[in-house]
Amino acid sequence: MNLLVLYLLMLKASITSFTGLGSLPMIRQDFVVDRHLITDRQLTTAVVAGRTSPGPYGIYLVCVAYLVAGVPGAIAGMLAVITPAFLVIPLMRWIGARAETPRIRSSIRALMLASAGLLLYASIPLSHETITGALTLIAAIACFLALVFTRIETMWLIFAAAVLGLLAQAVRALP
Amino acid sequence: MGKLTEVFFRIGNTTFGGGYITMVMLGRDLVGKRGWMKQDDYDLAFSLARITPGTNIIAFCAAVGSLLRGWRGAFLAVMAVTLPSALMAVLLQQGFESWRSHPYALSAIGVTSAAVTGMMWSTVWMLARPYIGGSSLRDKWVRTTRAVLLLGGSCGAAWLGVTPVPIILVAMVVGFLWLDEDRPTGDKQ
Repeated sequence: MNLLVLYLLMLKASITSFTGLGSLPMIRQDFVVDRHLITDRQLTTAVVAGRTSPGPYGIYLVCVAYLVAGVPGAIAGMLAVITPAFLVIPLMRWIGARAETPRIRSSIRALMLASAGLLLYASIPLSHETITGALTLIAAIACFLALVFTRIETMWLIFAAAVLGLLAQAVRALP
Repeated sequence: MGKLTEVFFRIGNTTFGGGYITMVMLGRDLVGKRGWMKQDDYDLAFSLARITPGTNIIAFCAAVGSLLRGWRGAFLAVMAVTLPSALMAVLLQQGFESWRSHPYALSAIGVTSAAVTGMMWSTVWMLARPYIGGSSLRDKWVRTTRAVLLLGGSCGAAWLGVTPVPIILVAMVVGFLWLDEDRPTGDKQ
């Protein structure tokens, strides 16, 4: 596939979404349904890889582009993912100059709270899916408390959780 | 510039669970730990990133990088977060199927996913915390009520199937009309 076309298709999906996975319906339509470049199973694997790796969920687009056109495709995909982000800079210059206005500041604070509400909603199905027993419940609560009450970095918590998971499996595997 | 890239590289590529968590962890480091930004500047970058098309966290990195070091800072911050995680995602994609059938990997992924859930809960708290409480008893009551209504209302609207953009726009209108003029709780600036 032509790299410019790939970039433009990815950019179209990226620029018309406002969340990491918001571009998924358009990507599926363009790459699975219309052009048959990848299968649904490959798309799902790309999404899971994007969710499992650190960083933004939207990075799954790079995996899709890699499936379509290899390393050059992945580079085109990454450029498509990052291009819209730079729109924020002129926006910052324009709104930033007015940000000290009490009403604008108050609007921004309300947006922060709405974002917290949206995240709370998003965490509900994830909690059901991931908390499957006492061990996972303890891991989730410990992680919450550690981040709220200490300055520990998340990578150490992820590392500790992975070790805990390995130990738990080792115990389960004992004869 | 090197320190800026290092912070974005380290936090952006070691924080799991998506953009929100990464943005809050970057804020905890840049505002709380290093004092490179004021809470209000962080809030501005966060808010504008939410309404910029595309992936929010990448726009957030561009916004913060640009605030701290102009266009070069924006570019470096974006690349420091996206390039390694893109590479990791492609590698993960290739190895995913075989890992999924391995019991030790499954167990590690299971507990790690639960830890990510805990991180999401803490992110909700850290996002809301600066806007709960206040400098006087009246402010405490008014701000906490406002926070609960906005947070609960947004969560409830999402549960009813309303998409994030209208929820955010309505919240901004509410914020515009219902002023919060107190300083963010815990802001040392």
